[in-house]
Amino acid sequence: MKRRDFLKQTTFASGMFFVPQFLKAFEQLPVKTFSHKKVVIIQLKGGNDGLNTVVPFNNDIYYQQRNNIAIKQNDVFKISDEVGLHKSLKPLEDLYNKGFVSIINNVGYPNPNLSHFRSTDIWQTASDSNEYLQNGWVGRYLDYTKGNPYAAIEVDESLSLMMKGKTQNGLAITDPKMFYNSMRAPFFNNVVTNYNEAHLSEHNLGYLYNTMIDAKSSAKHIYEKSNTKSTSVEYPKNIFGKQLNTISQFINSGLETQVYYAGLSGFDTHANQAGTQERLLKVYAESMEVFINDLQKNNTFEDVLILTFSEFGRRVKQNESKGTDHGTANNVFVMGKNLKKQGLYNNLPNLGDLDKNGNLKYEIDFREIYATILDKWLQVDDVAILNKSFSKLNFV
Amino acid sequence: MKSAHIQHLYNRVGFGIIPKELARLSKKSKKNVVNELFTSSKKTTILSVDTSFLKGISFKDAKDKNKRRELQKISRKKVQELSTAWFERLNNPSEILREKMTLFWANHFVCENKNILFVQSYNNMLRENALGDFRNFTKSVSKEAAMLSYLNNKQNKKKSPNENFARELMELFTLGQDHYTEQDIKESARSFTGYNHNFKGQFNFKQGQHDDEEKIFFGKLGHFKGDDIVDIILEKKQCARFISEKIYSYFVNESINNNHVDEMVEVFYKDYDIENLMRFVLLSNWFYADENIGTKIKSPIEFLVGINTIVPYKIEKPRQVLLLQRLLGQILLSPPNVAGWKTGRNWIDSNTIVTRLRLPSVLLNNAEIAYSEIGDEETMITDFKKRKLRRKAFIKVSADWSSFEENYKKESNKELVHQIITSKINSGTEEMLERNQQLSKRDFVVQLMSLPEYQLC
Repeated sequence: MKRRDFLKQTTFASGMFFVPQFLKAFEQLPVKTFSHKKVVIIQLKGGNDGLNTVVPFNNDIYYQQRNNIAIKQNDVFKISDEVGLHKSLKPLEDLYNKGFVSIINNVGYPNPNLSHFRSTDIWQTASDSNEYLQNGWVGRYLDYTKGNPYAAIEVDESLSLMMKGKTQNGLAITDPKMFYNSMRAPFFNNVVTNYNEAHLSEHNLGYLYNTMIDAKSSAKHIYEKSNTKSTSVEYPKNIFGKQLNTISQFINSGLETQVYYAGLSGFDTHANQAGTQERLLKVYAESMEVFINDLQKNNTFEDVLILTFSEFGRRVKQNESKGTDHGTANNVFVMGKNLKKQGLYNNLPNLGDLDKNGNLKYEIDFREIYATILDKWLQVDDVAILNKSFSKLNFV
Repeated sequence: MKSAHIQHLYNRVGFGIIPKELARLSKKSKKNVVNELFTSSKKTTILSVDTSFLKGISFKDAKDKNKRRELQKISRKKVQELSTAWFERLNNPSEILREKMTLFWANHFVCENKNILFVQSYNNMLRENALGDFRNFTKSVSKEAAMLSYLNNKQNKKKSPNENFARELMELFTLGQDHYTEQDIKESARSFTGYNHNFKGQFNFKQGQHDDEEKIFFGKLGHFKGDDIVDIILEKKQCARFISEKIYSYFVNESINNNHVDEMVEVFYKDYDIENLMRFVLLSNWFYADENIGTKIKSPIEFLVGINTIVPYKIEKPRQVLLLQRLLGQILLSPPNVAGWKTGRNWIDSNTIVTRLRLPSVLLNNAEIAYSEIGDEETMITDFKKRKLRRKAFIKVSADWSSFEENYKKESNKELVHQIITSKINSGTEEMLERNQQLSKRDFVVQLMSLPEYQLC
């Protein structure tokens, strides 16, 4: 049969006039926004070596422990008498000098888990290290605010645990137009207009139907809204640059999304770390520079807070493969326009005081950062979302 | 044996079943049906691609930078070729159970490599051990070149232990988190020092780099080597439990029934014989309980191969085989990380659900598919400029509709529903199917495969 005939037939056969009540109600749901602020979360996946990113270039222990991978004084740009940033981060220098960057050191959690997957889960769910949560902190933010799925967007092809709540999920999307077009296919319409709502609570089948309905309802809105704005700035030609470009397009078009999540992977440097990290930090910094300048140009930077984390840092002592093994506490970068504390937020790690495995001890629980963002920036009840009370920091 | 139960069995140990086979097997007892599965998976058919480009190449040649780069390029292509060959194999398996188990183990002993010799050897090692002795299996895994390099064990030396393999061995391969200490990891890493491989990928133990001092591992004292570590780990019942839980969640139900797993642990702990364990599972009554039938979300490969069981199809461009796998989130031989693919609901998000529902018409009716360009680390940095950002593609497919017509000639559209879908059906959707009974059988089957219900098995 010819393709066109086939599509025609199945479209007509599908009972197009029946629009389910649930779907209608969903589409008319007002967007309940608590604050117009936005958060962009970036994960350096694989455990970025924080010590070779924010470099203590006057520290003898640092050079003793890392005799052939330590970053030399000449290979940093200095931000204080003791601290320099890896030369690959040079594109951030101007932003740093303007006070748009705050570096929080020694961030971790009690009883750290050195597994990528578990530690990523811990960061994404905001759980204790011996607690296994099936939903992420951004997902619970969606639950709490009863946000649309597009209130949180991960610019990737699949959705991370961070974006999954108990009742609401965020959306994974790489290209709004494509997303929209694929939803307009007759087949999709066919299925989405015929289901019976009574079954939507059923285990996996209900999950499949609900995901389908959410996708359909969101795609149109995102496409139509974001289509009004095109980028005038040139982003680096790599996937990370493309992800940030998509996020800026969403933000600059006024899309109601409050949380964005993107990632850059490849930081698991057990062997021959230097070249890999240099390359990746460069990709990171170049894209961030363009991104922030793009937001500034569109007067949206003021409402955006950018958080960069990695699931853990690396061990202080290098291994003999010119790499580093999994470690614990690490630095976190916060970027924004009106930061309360600019530059170094706190002291660098004490390399003379390590735990029994030779790892850094943490000073700030990563959930204090989340609590601060939820409370002071997004203005919601952080305790309800994090299930616990954490003290707040003063970077915003 | 009941038809619905045979369908369920073949959904889980294979990728569905055609009516003729179903009719033949329904005359047999459960015991005989299960026996037949094991008998037909007795032997192992090796999977390989032509690697003659490596003929006469020595370690010396590979030292030359240009030569090495060229070899690596060919090798990467060959890995993709093997990936496509594997997909082809899954579509036409002679040893169904063994192949399904191989797929299972590939998401357990997760490994990735760019060297075709290493990858091929690793993949066939999984295949050979898929129904064998878990003890030998684990030891073999630790000695494969692909794994030695993937988890940095070849950099694990006496004076400079590298813990990567030691950690994942316990966390992901044998015990699961929280069943060992950091100290255990360190001592285990020391025991695996000296493990290496030669240019061809054969295991090579370097005594000089092995730390032969005493170690204390799980409270035991000795001059342990890698194999000893595996033996000591397997003494722990937790290992039998960890594997049983994983098998239960893959073949039976993601939500674990502790009573059932307890029974499995008793069977498995005795001799770590995988065949015995699988036989026990497939013969148990609970395997066929209603709550386990039609409730599992298919993995992308199960989904793609399942369609092929109903309407055999061939994707003409090998590259597009990989494209489809990427869009659905599972590229054979290219796992996301050492923890492998997250399964179940993790397969489904707003993007993949749309792709999945459209795919039967894309494959069988030459519809167009849209996708975004996202590459791996390598393409991301080097090839991005060269690559066109293609956004739409027609997947060139030849569909063997005559096989379908022949296989399903006796079924009406109504009967087709239960041949294709084993899960419960949403009542609104069921009414829609009722209204569409007049569609041709071909259109009707495509519609069935385009339903959310078809995502379950």
